[in-house]
Amino acid sequence: MIDTRPMIELRHLHRYFGNTRAVDDVSFAVHRGQVFGYIGPNGAGKTTSMRILASLDLPTAGDATIDGFSVVNDPDRVRHRLGFMPDYYGTYSNVNVYEYLDFFARAYQLRGSRRVDAVDRVMDFTGLDVLADKPTDGLSKGMKQRLCLGRALIHDPAVLVLDEPAAGLDPRARIEVRQMIRSLADNGKTILISSHILTELAEICDVVGIIERGKLLAMGSVEAIQQQAQEKAASGAGISNAVEVRVLGGAKALGQWLAEQPEVSQLQVNGEAVRFLHAGNLEAEADLLRAMIEAGFRVVAFGSKRQTLEDVFMQVTQGLVQ
Amino acid sequence: MSSEVELSSIEVKAAPTAPARWWAAVDRAMVWGGDRLNPILVKETRQALKSRQFVITFALLLLCGWVWSILGVAMIGPDIWYGAQGADMFFGYYAILAFPLTVIVPFGAFRSLAGEQEDRTYELMSITGLGPRQIIRGKLGSAVLQMLIYLSAISPCLAFTYMLRGIDAPTILFILLYLSLGSLALSVIGLLAGTLTSEKHWQVVLSVVLIAGLFYAFGMSFLLAGVTLAELHGVFLQPEFWQANAAFLTGYAGYFALLFYAAAAQLSFTSDNRSTRLRITMVVQHVLLTGWMAWLWIWPAQGEEELPFVFLMFLGIHWWVMGALMTGESPELSPRVKRQLPQSFLGRVFLTWLNPGPGTGYMLAVSGMLAGLVTVGMALMLVKWIALWSPQNWRFNTAGTTLPFGILGFSYATFYLGLGLLVIRLLRRFTHVGILLAALVQVLVLLLGCGVPMIIYMLSTYWYDADYSLLQITNPFWSLMHVVDRSALPPEGYVLLAIVPLAALLVFVLNLGGIVREVRNVRIAKPRRVAEEDAELAAVKVPPEPVKKSPWD
Repeated sequence: MIDTRPMIELRHLHRYFGNTRAVDDVSFAVHRGQVFGYIGPNGAGKTTSMRILASLDLPTAGDATIDGFSVVNDPDRVRHRLGFMPDYYGTYSNVNVYEYLDFFARAYQLRGSRRVDAVDRVMDFTGLDVLADKPTDGLSKGMKQRLCLGRALIHDPAVLVLDEPAAGLDPRARIEVRQMIRSLADNGKTILISSHILTELAEICDVVGIIERGKLLAMGSVEAIQQQAQEKAASGAGISNAVEVRVLGGAKALGQWLAEQPEVSQLQVNGEAVRFLHAGNLEAEADLLRAMIEAGFRVVAFGSKRQTLEDVFMQVTQGLVQ
Repeated sequence: MSSEVELSSIEVKAAPTAPARWWAAVDRAMVWGGDRLNPILVKETRQALKSRQFVITFALLLLCGWVWSILGVAMIGPDIWYGAQGADMFFGYYAILAFPLTVIVPFGAFRSLAGEQEDRTYELMSITGLGPRQIIRGKLGSAVLQMLIYLSAISPCLAFTYMLRGIDAPTILFILLYLSLGSLALSVIGLLAGTLTSEKHWQVVLSVVLIAGLFYAFGMSFLLAGVTLAELHGVFLQPEFWQANAAFLTGYAGYFALLFYAAAAQLSFTSDNRSTRLRITMVVQHVLLTGWMAWLWIWPAQGEEELPFVFLMFLGIHWWVMGALMTGESPELSPRVKRQLPQSFLGRVFLTWLNPGPGTGYMLAVSGMLAGLVTVGMALMLVKWIALWSPQNWRFNTAGTTLPFGILGFSYATFYLGLGLLVIRLLRRFTHVGILLAALVQVLVLLLGCGVPMIIYMLSTYWYDADYSLLQITNPFWSLMHVVDRSALPPEGYVLLAIVPLAALLVFVLNLGGIVREVRNVRIAKPRRVAEEDAELAAVKVPPEPVKKSPWD
């Protein structure tokens, strides 16, 4: 029997702080083994949703479940299934790396060899084994992030909620954290991750949700969201793709010809290259290319820039801050 | 030849000797015990051993003990050989020990929890498997451990005072026991203070208040130790001394439990039941007070007429304070709490009042006071009946003002708590009212009742120097004192007895709607997912069917 129950589910989640709607009717589900990327500008409601999932805050209305258990009514059952890595470190003074992880292992009621094994496994996975005796408050940013990830993993939870795990890290550390997350997903963990580094999310996420001003604006796989954006462009919603055409001679003439075409805007002629925005889908672009050739232009290159997650993010959100 | 080589390469392990086996067993037991220690206690002990504050305090304690030993011996001089100067030396050591125990340890407990909230490590801890009671127990355990370390550090000095004569070992132990209990109580107060707010400016205010309170407690402990040293001679042989101590210790245990559960409730998740344990503790305190008062009244005090007054007064204050806090609870029950509501008829009749909610809290407080009043009434009737048969030494005063005092006190408390609850319900239509704000409303309502007629008295030339009049009917304190101040009920007493209970009944009736709404809550079923998991867990715990090994099995 296939388990169809989502591991993470938000059902019409609302969270208000006075008149501010930090989370406004957000619903989505993440299934076992999926990595869900939660994208949004600062103050969009990502951290609030994540804190509710971690049973650190209560929703004003709606509910959220982890493996079918309500975070409002069964937080104790949720906590055993969830590892939460917040956007702060939470280290103790006068405690070394081993003692820190040992404390959290004890706090999750791991006893005897299970506890020792858990601490060893996590230190090995995060590469902290060489720093076991180092005080936690003396660690570098990257090492602290690893320690926090280790803390979230110590009880081997089925679900991980990671709030900006790669924030402030250098490129190498970011790549290492990304590899760790991918490896966790490959091992069947369900992961909800927020990040500002969208290219990274595009690489590791199966599903992406874009949130702004508390509202979920778009959700789906990265490809599906890109497709949605393309379709939106085709429906004339004012969203365009960047196209670059190179011709042998006659770039200026091509510019004039293009200026007469519908769906073309922001023309730039630079030597043999003509750049413009085209508000149409791929078929319309193909038609445009054919028309261009039929009009006698000697086209040597026609490039339609595929939208990245960042482009989609910029198109979907408006940069509004609450 | 080859067989010799093979044999020499085999490592021969000797069987472990008896001491080695014994040590291995001890080691296993230590690991087993260590695994079951509170995680916070383990972490804080590790932290404390490396912390500068602990090292400095410990070093200062040792240094002060050493300095006082030299100074004290120098001051005593040759008297040390034939005098009895132990008590004086002990007093100095007591001061050295009392400071860390009454100031540093409790403040450390407060800072430990407040610091976790500031650094947000509390959040990380709270989402582990640690429950709020475990967290408080761990922090208290850490405070106890520090106390024990300080005590052990000064213990050679205390043994030295015993050898100097002038103080006996029971006195030393008695004073140390009470100092430790005081330190523990102050630590739980510190922890409760640490849970009250996570906002930095309020934590600063609380720190200042707490420090002032702890220094006051240090001064008081100093005073009490002095009095104890002066007055404690020979009392250990008197049974009344131990009875009084037993009464004190049960009261201490009751209030300690109340503070402990209050601190744990503050840390509990919002949808948890924060109230029932506290209410059970309140009821236990009520029973303990009733028991000790009954014993005191019947045996040592032999019907002393003031005791029922004292009992009713204590009980009235106890339930008014608890009622003021309970009326601040939210009227909404979370589905999590509703899953655990009593569902049998008897359970609903008797246990509903232990459920969270302002209406049930009001009812519990009123019922507690009524139970006290009925207990006194029945006791007075009983002794009147006993006095008919054995009137020898008993001097029970069954007439007079005991019952009117009780009825009026009960009515006033019912009236003011009910009125406060109505105001709180009104306020809740506009804003969120928490427990502290609700308690403040209750205090303000009572102060208004007392203050308005007092102001009229002060502003009027006619009443300025006047004695009690019925204008003071809303002032419970003066009215009760006026009733209790004489052997027979004064003329105003009859009017008070007619009006105040009626007003209390009216306010109670006005609150009935809210109470009924809360009583109507019934148990709800567990969500399907919870039931599924419970069934899975139950299946794991059920022992497997025994396998038949013989025809007789």
